[in-house]
Amino acid sequence: MAPNVQAKFELLLQKKLKYTSANLGFNMLISKLQRKVASDPESMAACVREADDFAAKFPAVVNADFARIAAL
Amino acid sequence: MLVTLDKAISLINEGKTLHIAADDSLLAQLPRGKWIGGTTPYFIAEDGGVFTKDMLYVNEIDFASDVRVAVYGKYNIFQIVEDCFDNGLTMLILPYGSKVTEKYAKEAPDVEELLLHPTVGWVSGHDLATSEDSKVYDGTTGTAYTDKAVAMFLRLPEGKTAMINIVNIFEDDKDDPVITFPENTLEVDKCSVDGREISFAEYIREKSVDTQMPLVADYNGVYFNISVKSIENGKVGLYAPVFKGIEYRFARRVSNYVEEFKNRIGATGAQKPVFSCNCILNYLYGGLEGKKTPPYAGPVTFGEVAYQLLNQTLTYCEIV
Repeated sequence: MAPNVQAKFELLLQKKLKYTSANLGFNMLISKLQRKVASDPESMAACVREADDFAAKFPAVVNADFARIAAL
Repeated sequence: MLVTLDKAISLINEGKTLHIAADDSLLAQLPRGKWIGGTTPYFIAEDGGVFTKDMLYVNEIDFASDVRVAVYGKYNIFQIVEDCFDNGLTMLILPYGSKVTEKYAKEAPDVEELLLHPTVGWVSGHDLATSEDSKVYDGTTGTAYTDKAVAMFLRLPEGKTAMINIVNIFEDDKDDPVITFPENTLEVDKCSVDGREISFAEYIREKSVDTQMPLVADYNGVYFNISVKSIENGKVGLYAPVFKGIEYRFARRVSNYVEEFKNRIGATGAQKPVFSCNCILNYLYGGLEGKKTPPYAGPVTFGEVAYQLLNQTLTYCEIV
């Protein structure tokens, strides 16, 4: 995840930003990671890695989301 | 599309890869072949919602470069995330009322890597006027199961991705109190309303909740429904589990169910879903018999799978 995306993505996981994807799986992942970060703020790095794994699997879908998240 | 028994047999004998939904009396007559199936006599066909035990709903799978079929019980159901194709789609059918379905319902959200493997499907059912068993079929062996799930693993061509999505007409009322539950369960005793522990059945009674409206939970802007099945002996039975740590509210009342469906479907922009199914509760409460929901057509189900088990939802998949 590029640094500018990661900075915004971390805010999204802390629920300081809002972004809903058109991809159901990505929304489910964000929701799951938000709960993880809320219960254990130390898990942020692992959550970002999990999102990176998802993006690596579905680049066509998630790269567009990452571009929009970076622009938030 | 809805087809006759002869047509379904002909498609199987031609070697087509098929997903089939029909009454058990028809599925039991099909020859072995590359198909999986589940029981239901309710459908949203291209011509509208219909109850029939004389026709089968068939999806021809012509987009996969490879296909495998496997059967799973409650002890190994989550092996599907290991057995699926790396770039693929898993179509899963679970029999209503079975242990494997309960296990999937309660534990799927916690399964590592499930979201990395697009999984779509449904819970098979039966004629509501009967107490028949709900079954799934592994067409490759011609075997029916009431206690196992059947999965069809589809490999997608390079550059193609399965996109699973839902159409849900329900949203929460943010002014309503937040309801949470102490455990993942299909049968609720206590809940917590704005932090106060209370009997869930009592809460529903006191608030005069219309139980045709589901509980909804906000998953990053997407709402998942949990429908109320029964209220007996102070316990509330649910069609899908509530989860510990998730915040729920009852859905805002929908005044015109069919119109709301039309509006939501229009907003999805889906062109050519390769699979879709809709919940029996939408069929009944929404009076969908005779009503069309283009471009979505398929079985009417006792639960929907979009990665995890859902309720009162139209679920679909596109290959993009």
